Amino acid sequence: MNDDSDIFDYLARGGKLSAPGNTPPRYRAELLRLMASFVDSELAGAAGFADCINLGPGVKERIAAARIVLEKLDHAERVLKIMGDFGANVTRYQNLHPWAARIARHDDIGLKRQAGDMRLNVFHYPIAGWTDAVVLNVLMGTATVIQLGDFAVMSYQPLAETFRAILPREQRHAELGQEGLNAAGARGSAAQKEISDSVDYWFPKVAATFGAAASPRTELLRRFGIRRRPNADMLDEWRGRVSAALGSCLRGWNGRA
Amino acid sequence: MAQFYPLTVTDIRRDTREAVVVTLAPPVDAAEAFRFIQGQYLTFRRCFDGEDLRRSYSICAGVDDGVLRVGVKRVDGGWFSTFMNEELKVGDTLDSMAPMGNFHAPLAPERTRRYLGFAGGSGITPMISLIRTIMAREPKSSFTLVYGNRSTSAIIFREELEDLKNLHLGRLNIVHILESEAGEIELFSGRLDREKCEALFSRWIDVKAADLAFICGPEPMMLAVADALKSHGLPETAIKFELFSSPRAGRAKPKAGGAAGAYSGAATATIVLDGAARDIPIAAGQSVLDAALAAAIDAPYACKAGVCSTCRGKLVEGEVEMEANYALEDYEVERGYILTCQSHPRTAKIIVDYDQ
Repeated sequence: MNDDSDIFDYLARGGKLSAPGNTPPRYRAELLRLMASFVDSELAGAAGFADCINLGPGVKERIAAARIVLEKLDHAERVLKIMGDFGANVTRYQNLHPWAARIARHDDIGLKRQAGDMRLNVFHYPIAGWTDAVVLNVLMGTATVIQLGDFAVMSYQPLAETFRAILPREQRHAELGQEGLNAAGARGSAAQKEISDSVDYWFPKVAATFGAAASPRTELLRRFGIRRRPNADMLDEWRGRVSAALGSCLRGWNGRA
Repeated sequence: MAQFYPLTVTDIRRDTREAVVVTLAPPVDAAEAFRFIQGQYLTFRRCFDGEDLRRSYSICAGVDDGVLRVGVKRVDGGWFSTFMNEELKVGDTLDSMAPMGNFHAPLAPERTRRYLGFAGGSGITPMISLIRTIMAREPKSSFTLVYGNRSTSAIIFREELEDLKNLHLGRLNIVHILESEAGEIELFSGRLDREKCEALFSRWIDVKAADLAFICGPEPMMLAVADALKSHGLPETAIKFELFSSPRAGRAKPKAGGAAGAYSGAATATIVLDGAARDIPIAAGQSVLDAALAAAIDAPYACKAGVCSTCRGKLVEGEVEMEANYALEDYEVERGYILTCQSHPRTAKIIVDYDQ
């Protein structure tokens, strides 16, 4: 066993940590894992979205897409810096995986992580056109805001503060997606069909990013003060928010299972 | 990899029977690296009996003071703090990393903010840095310090705080809480616990008017203060914590691994994770991490490339060979830490502990 029970008790009772030297090994490992997953997702998300900039129907949309790419890279860099405080080799990490690589559109990799690449699995799937990118941005943007909201009060204060700074910008990304979606939805029935198909494709993949309803890891993260809300709770909130977003632009939207 | 700089000891002042304040000068060409943010700490390295030990001590100077100094209280049985208190001399050099740490809030010179600070014992050191800096850089802000100690003689920086208070009358308020001295006012004696906070917050300190609170001290005190602050309406995001103890501060064990010949066959590993131990087989060529994952052990990992250090574990018995290591410091390797994603057994039996 270890001699960290005082710290675990402290964390379970709402205590916070502010320096790598005070983090017990298991805590440190889970924190690094979470940061790696966030950084990989932002890098892969930015890389995938970069290819969509030129697909934007007008300059305004291309500016919005370029801004999202820029800011996601910036968010990755901020969190990577904290990983560096823990000894991670930041320079090497940036090019560790081919962030722009995607599997085929209709492959199914389920929930299993792909080797060392810690991006959420939704970021392994390719985007098929502007409308598809906009739909993904609304669905995943909303999920990111909910998930970051939970991390923004976590027990490792430097990371919590970084997530709090990132949160409003991720919120704006989701709003830009909503604006794009409303514009696309107004372009007639062919566009409506396109949105509907994209929602069918992305909805289950984004829903899966919330994880299983109950898992030992979630419980461990809760005891460490890294996570608070249950996965099912956040998933419910997401369903409610995206249903409202889709209902406003997709005729006949009646939710998804 | 972490870089150390030789700092010259330019002054040592005994502040209490058990604490010294050490002033240090960085090498001229590293002056820039030692510009610090208020509330940061220095990490020192020194060899004791052939073992590389590291300890972190908070800087206790303001950012505009033009001086780098740390306060060190002697800990019973603590090699480093005893050395700093008893053996260190003016003119000696100490190896230190550049300042690190996040116990601060960005300064806002134009704002009128009300800060609260809660220090227990040597938790005062970063507070000195925060107070000195805020008094100088935020001329309209005020700071109330609640400082708990066993007795008057144990109060580190007692005179300096008194001088600061006189210099910044009306902006800096200091409340001493003394455990073993029953003063005239009951409110100011006893322990800095939840009950004491409740009494202070209902009669002496207006928590609702505060913008930010800093807490530094032992865990129970920090939790008690934070709970009381929250129950009096301060948002959780406005409370900054700095735990000053260093939990992994024990003496290092002898180095694992050595000059044995290469071992190419399969091995058995005992994997300790979250307090449970399991024996698993490791095939030739398989990494310790992959073997653990194959046995359905939920071992931590991320990059699987020796870069991120998520999969770090301690080799308790046996020997391994690491293919690559871009994350662990030399001293961690000395102490037996391995990146399990890069490690292959070199002995038929190994024990790896993810909990250490």
